[in-house]
Amino acid sequence: MHTDVLVIGAGPAGLAAAAAAAEHGAEVLLVDRESRPGGILKQCIHDGFGVIRYEEKLTGPEYAYRDIEAVRAYGLRVLNNTFVLDLKQSVDGFSLLLQNPIDGAFRVDTKALVAANGCRERTSRQVFIHGDRPAGIYSAGTAQNLINLHGYLPGRKVVILGSGDIGMIMARRLTLEGAEVAGVYEIKDEPSGLTRNRVQCLDDYNIPLYLNTTVTRVHGTKRVTGVSVAAVGADLKPLPGSETLVPCDTLLLSVGLIPENDILEPLALEFDAKTGGPVVDQRMMTSVPGLFSCGNATHVNDMVDYVSESGFNAGRAAANYCQHGGSQGSVEVVSGNNLLYAVPQRLVSGEEAAIYFRSDKTIDRVILVAQAAGKELFREKYLRIRPPEMQKIVLQPLSPEVESVEIGLEEVT
Amino acid sequence: MSAELNTVKKALAAANLAEVEVIEKQGALVLEGQVKNWQQYLEAGYAAAGQDFRGVVNDLEVEGLENFKQQCESSPEDFSLERYSFDVVVIGGGVIGCAIARELTRYNVKVALLEKESDLARHTSGRNNGMIHSTMAVKLGTKKYLYNLRGNRMYRKVAEELGFDLKWPGSFAMLDKNWQLLLGPYARRIASKKGVQGFRVLSKGKVKELEPNAWEEQTGSFYMPETGVVDPYQVTIAYAENAMQNGTTIYLNTKVLGFEKDNNRITAVRTNRGTLQAGVIINAAGIWADHVAEMAGDRFYTIHPRKGVIAILDKKTGSSQSYILGRAQLSSEAKTKGGGLVPLLDGNILAGPTADEVPGREDYSTETHELQHILDHHLVLNKTLQQSDIITYFAGTRACTFEEDFIIEISEYVENLVHAAGIQSPGLASAPAIAVDVRDMAAEILKNKMDLKENPDFNPKRKLAPQPVRLSLKERNCLIENRPSYGQIVCRCELVSEGEIVDAIHAPLPARTLDAVKRRARAGMGRCQGGFCTPAVINILARETGRQVTEICKHEPGSVLITDRTRRKGCEQSAH
Repeated sequence: MHTDVLVIGAGPAGLAAAAAAAEHGAEVLLVDRESRPGGILKQCIHDGFGVIRYEEKLTGPEYAYRDIEAVRAYGLRVLNNTFVLDLKQSVDGFSLLLQNPIDGAFRVDTKALVAANGCRERTSRQVFIHGDRPAGIYSAGTAQNLINLHGYLPGRKVVILGSGDIGMIMARRLTLEGAEVAGVYEIKDEPSGLTRNRVQCLDDYNIPLYLNTTVTRVHGTKRVTGVSVAAVGADLKPLPGSETLVPCDTLLLSVGLIPENDILEPLALEFDAKTGGPVVDQRMMTSVPGLFSCGNATHVNDMVDYVSESGFNAGRAAANYCQHGGSQGSVEVVSGNNLLYAVPQRLVSGEEAAIYFRSDKTIDRVILVAQAAGKELFREKYLRIRPPEMQKIVLQPLSPEVESVEIGLEEVT
Repeated sequence: MSAELNTVKKALAAANLAEVEVIEKQGALVLEGQVKNWQQYLEAGYAAAGQDFRGVVNDLEVEGLENFKQQCESSPEDFSLERYSFDVVVIGGGVIGCAIARELTRYNVKVALLEKESDLARHTSGRNNGMIHSTMAVKLGTKKYLYNLRGNRMYRKVAEELGFDLKWPGSFAMLDKNWQLLLGPYARRIASKKGVQGFRVLSKGKVKELEPNAWEEQTGSFYMPETGVVDPYQVTIAYAENAMQNGTTIYLNTKVLGFEKDNNRITAVRTNRGTLQAGVIINAAGIWADHVAEMAGDRFYTIHPRKGVIAILDKKTGSSQSYILGRAQLSSEAKTKGGGLVPLLDGNILAGPTADEVPGREDYSTETHELQHILDHHLVLNKTLQQSDIITYFAGTRACTFEEDFIIEISEYVENLVHAAGIQSPGLASAPAIAVDVRDMAAEILKNKMDLKENPDFNPKRKLAPQPVRLSLKERNCLIENRPSYGQIVCRCELVSEGEIVDAIHAPLPARTLDAVKRRARAGMGRCQGGFCTPAVINILARETGRQVTEICKHEPGSVLITDRTRRKGCEQSAH
């Protein structure tokens, strides 16, 4: 089998990429591991999706439905229940070994490849919780899947570690389903999710949020019987003597997401240690020509609207690549003062570029400045900037002599 | 013997434990009285060891520790095994018990294996580093040495017959001081005495050449090429399945509660599921072997648990290391080999184990300091490894006697009881050889009571379920065409298909819990640790076993995964 653009993943990024590539004249194959397209949106039955793109508050399935309809309208090929078993570069693109229950295992060659694999959740072991391994420890996303897609309640009395968005959303969801949420515990001194989620999911339901506190130990051998929680010091290490026991039968973890790019490993592409995803330019091209990355596989976004945006960019660029070739832009984006990271990390000159960034801490009254060789390209004031809330700016096309752009946040003194 | 009793008393006095009472019972030393803490309990045990007694029974009470001698709670009671009769009853479904059961099926004997847990290898056999050790680190003249040597050399054949994976990466015992290289000629002599084939002393440069990412501080290494790696859980299952194929009956959730005796002979085994008649009893009860010995009336050793914590690293680390890496243990007094880094069969690297004496025999909780030890002492042995590569960690306990040696013998006090006890490292490496000897001991006893013959139908080859990843593309497609579920991947990290999970659930020894499926088919073993596949596996388990999802457990009865249905029952879905 052969195609122009193969898109891996039918979540919001992959759906957008597939539609955009088809719109720009490419033959597209969309491959997804699940039985229905929509990715993780399928289980996100709360609202708040699409506020930028549609100026509406949609649920996850509603948001996905619009993209699925768009993909259907192009009549492109979609393979469900399909896994990528092997991936390598070939003379004129990429060669993939795919497998599904209907077609078995088979090879597909493609000129361009869009990797929209999404992300996975960090586990209790990755935040070094000790004790035995009883039943009742779930990541927040797994609990969301169990409740919203299967109608299963993972527990009756729940402690949530981490105030990521999914954690707070699950606190509300569990409460609505009749479970008791004993509290949300956050090791940092502020919630790590969006403010609106704190208000709508915790405050409105009287679910306590404990800051500067973490879970150190799980009790129980069969099923969780409780967790030890402890206050932490400035170094985020538990303070001796501050441990208390919170009885519960379930521990949910919302302690961060990791972009999933493991299947790209054989391609030896450049990664950004700060985002956990590949280094891309504004067309979402990676350091491997013809390989594009988008959505939460590139970096973990806060809003689905941005995920779709990167998908459109990747899909359009992949279609163009099939006709004109090309390689990653060479202008380096340096993330400077007070920035956690900025994406894209490279730019192609002569084209407008959206840059997404997060600050490394909460800062009041700052100015974002983008400059090249001492010349200011862009400036914007923010009253308050928080790491959970991603920001977006748009840079005008760069002139060809620019080699690098530095972006930083300057505190107003 | 009184001279030796005095020696022990002096040793105890020297350790400030003069108040400990020492008596001799059935040829064993028994310690009685009370000590202040666990450390003293251990010191007393070790002070009493090494004399010409059958073993050390440590009956000391420990202040503030009341429950450490207590067994785990009993499984539900029924009478389903009442009056069944077997020529041999093997107690314990670890690698030792399962290997013994399989070896026994070479004869025309009826064998039952009793396991108190809901799956095999739930304890020590499923919680170790999977190494087939060379004999370099074991003491000459011990049973450990003899069985390790023979067992190691038997593994190739056993693996081929039973169809489990085995590789021989070889191991480095690295040195960190230049003068230690002077020990080379001495080490070579020891290696030759101990029959360590292919032993070499490697210079610092040679280590770097063979293992470029090895420990920065190494100054050279001893190299034992005949060190192997298996998946200890798979070895146990392989032995058990082949034993079942050849007629062994395995009873899970079946705990031995006592014995019925006629003078010095056991006539029946009392369990929570009824009383079985038994010709010969094999005590392969691992961490609880001393309790079984006591119930049988032949108590001459006490097991004390030595906990080991192990960390498993992401598969992507696998390509950074070819050999098993450890530090040389130059002191012969060391009770463990110190742990290290083991490249596993599926591409992960294993770090550990640690070694800490603990009172709890099934205390598998991990502690911060144990993981820190792994980071400081083991992870550094490969300089590319980082803390963030760890995907999971867990603990196991070693079933140690105070003599620190295996006990493989026919009981001196109960004529139809065989002990296979005190099996700690290198127990896995020794298992094939221990099984053969215990089989012969059982045969020795049986010969007097029955007409013992070879089993003409014995088939040493285990029947295997299809393994799609090992097939050519053409064969795999043929398989998927016949059963599409082999084409449906459920575990995305380890690429495990629904078909393989269903096979595990319906295997000769069925996997009926999430963890059993994980250990059998690898679903949930990867970097997301079941985050994505858990809902699907729960559904498949419920569907295939005709149970409600609220009845599906993680590992043992009571470890339910789903407590309730949501208020509105949700959309009824199959696995996908």
